[in-house]
Amino acid sequence: MAEPLLQVRGLQVHFPIKRGLVVDRTIGHVRAVDGVDLQVGRGQTYGLVGESGCGKSTLGRAILRLEEPTGGTVLFDGQDVGALRAEPLRLIRRRMQMVFQDPLSSLDPRQSVESSLTEPLGVHGLADADRAEFGADSAKSHLAKASAMLDVVGLPRGSLAKYPHEFSGGQRQRIGIARAMILNPDLVIADEPVSALDVSVQAQVINLLEHLQDLLGLTYLVIAHDLAVVRHISDVIGVMYLGTLVEEADSDDLYERPLHPYTIALMSAIPIPDPVVEDRRERILLRGDLPSPANPPSGCRFHTRCPFRQATRCDDEVPALREVAGSPGRRVACHYAEEIRDGRIHVADPQLLVEPPTASAAGRS
Amino acid sequence: MSPVEQHTTTASSDRTLVSRSRREPVNRSEVLLEVRDLDVTFARRGGRATHAVDGVSFSVRPGEVVGIVGESGSGKSVTSLAVMGLLPRRGVQVRGEVLYRGRNLLTMPAGELADLRGSELAMVFQDPMSSLNPVVPVGTQVTEVLLRHSDISRSAARDEAEDLLRRCGIPDPGRRLKEYPHQLSGGMRQRALIAIALACRPALLICDEPTTALDVTIQAQVLELLKELVADLGTAMVMITHDLGVVAGLCDSVNVMYAGRVVESAPRRELFEHPRHRYTEGLLGSIPRLDAPRGDPLQPIPGTPRDVIAWSAGCAFAPRCRHAADDCVVPDLGLEPLGRAGHLVRCVHPAPESSPEHRAPRDHRTTELSGPSGARALSVSDSASTTAGEERHG
Repeated sequence: MAEPLLQVRGLQVHFPIKRGLVVDRTIGHVRAVDGVDLQVGRGQTYGLVGESGCGKSTLGRAILRLEEPTGGTVLFDGQDVGALRAEPLRLIRRRMQMVFQDPLSSLDPRQSVESSLTEPLGVHGLADADRAEFGADSAKSHLAKASAMLDVVGLPRGSLAKYPHEFSGGQRQRIGIARAMILNPDLVIADEPVSALDVSVQAQVINLLEHLQDLLGLTYLVIAHDLAVVRHISDVIGVMYLGTLVEEADSDDLYERPLHPYTIALMSAIPIPDPVVEDRRERILLRGDLPSPANPPSGCRFHTRCPFRQATRCDDEVPALREVAGSPGRRVACHYAEEIRDGRIHVADPQLLVEPPTASAAGRS
Repeated sequence: MSPVEQHTTTASSDRTLVSRSRREPVNRSEVLLEVRDLDVTFARRGGRATHAVDGVSFSVRPGEVVGIVGESGSGKSVTSLAVMGLLPRRGVQVRGEVLYRGRNLLTMPAGELADLRGSELAMVFQDPMSSLNPVVPVGTQVTEVLLRHSDISRSAARDEAEDLLRRCGIPDPGRRLKEYPHQLSGGMRQRALIAIALACRPALLICDEPTTALDVTIQAQVLELLKELVADLGTAMVMITHDLGVVAGLCDSVNVMYAGRVVESAPRRELFEHPRHRYTEGLLGSIPRLDAPRGDPLQPIPGTPRDVIAWSAGCAFAPRCRHAADDCVVPDLGLEPLGRAGHLVRCVHPAPESSPEHRAPRDHRTTELSGPSGARALSVSDSASTTAGEERHG
């Protein structure tokens, strides 16, 4: 594996819950991100998946220090991002950029595309690689670069004078992508880059992101709730649950053999657009909803909903994200990952197991 | 969470979803709802009228799930609102016929329609936050339907509401009845909305993107609930969604809509195995599949759903179609039978029958996690029962 560009160690983001009219008393913390370790290698794509409220977006923002972490370190290319003061942080931000979820709310409605695209150039200046092509920093060279960027993301040249409302959702997302990529960053964090788009347009944007990665040698951290999308573009996938990583694996392996009970249930819940597969598939339902991150369950955070829950260890012992013997490149935060993998533990409650119609017709009491 | 398991712990265990049906046994061959040439036009002040739904026809039988798939702006939601008579009267022209048990809902007096709506016809909306009243407790919103349509006392309605919420998988329904929508999580709100729709055991349920706002694990719970409903009560269902995965698992037949018209209509398996319309083919090729080999680039449909031409001028999909030719510009293309029985396509150059290029057959892991009957090295305790009680060592 290449030398990691991004290393996150024990990252925590806790938001205080305040109550009181005159004196704000802190009565607790929402543990949005609670101790996450991950590494992203150069040129790699790391996918983060999880349900809403699991802290994946907060994690992405905390890596860029758009959200101030309350603990842990973020090393970007060997530099501790958390320790940087304002000016060095500003300088390092040109190398790490973000693509936001909703292109309409992340683009200023009163700013033309030209202004949106040249603003980062005005702040940081052209990337060294672009100087050769476009010359020294000037309004003219910035405009030339913005115009070239439009070509790269597949927007018509005439778009520069237009405003965000004149574009469709997919085109707006292309503007957001162009704005993030115009500085030639090393790391791009894409937070739900396609979830606001129509199905037929999603694929265009996914292909564009892949194309740009090849073209510019980017490293991606893609955050999304759609596991199929994440699996398609990522090399490594991390699954988050309630502020922690519960499983990390190579994206092909993860689908082949999910080991953490949450990943297993998540995989089985994702509908596959193929009736043949859908009819044959066994589903594991999860009970209830995500517990509150202000008061996470003791022990394993998933134990309240876990279909494989055991009588010992699960409720009182926090499982570490550990390598599993016999499954290389895999980290799982479950005490019983080996037993589940080898089929020594099963789902006990038949109510949680939805078998294919043919099998369940015979087995139903 | 399945509603069946819930009531075993309560006094109402004898009343299952099935036995509660007071309606006469369903005749599964009868056509319950027939939509014929539905046409909806929105007039705009000073602008050209928008033809949102253009000659849509389909029919639903009891115990059948009909899917309507399309992207935003394809007219799928307007179709459902027109069927339920929920479109505003001003500026909207609805033509065609919507026959429910032979009676035309479009020409029915408003009072009669109001009697049917909520009791025999029900609808589940997409966004539970905006379709529940935020200043009225959930319980009142459920009992309201019961009091309006059946002759029961308030206390009986309250018990019934509690029972309904429990069946829909809401834990501690007695407490939830007194709560307001904002106190419920998204999944619970959606289940409350389904409970309201099911309150009078409707014969026809229209679901407009019922799971789009939900997380996948909650979506799986809700879809399982809907499946049970169709299987046990023989409810007829119209499922409106943009998610082909949901359609693949739930619907018996599928109508694909584009720019206000049905472009392809086929039984579920037929549609996914042999998509003939270029739009359907494109849609299937553009979604990343969880079980497909990685690395193959997706095949997106070029352009956006807004790049359409009027159906009266030619095929609306032609501007985005890779196979479009001059002869696609034919006014009012018909929805013609093609290939196998029940397959209708509106296309001049349909895809050849066996070119399932999007399909990547691959052995799916279905039985790696063997069922509850399998041999156990370690016992697994039921998480619900042990959260309350003590740990049991197996």
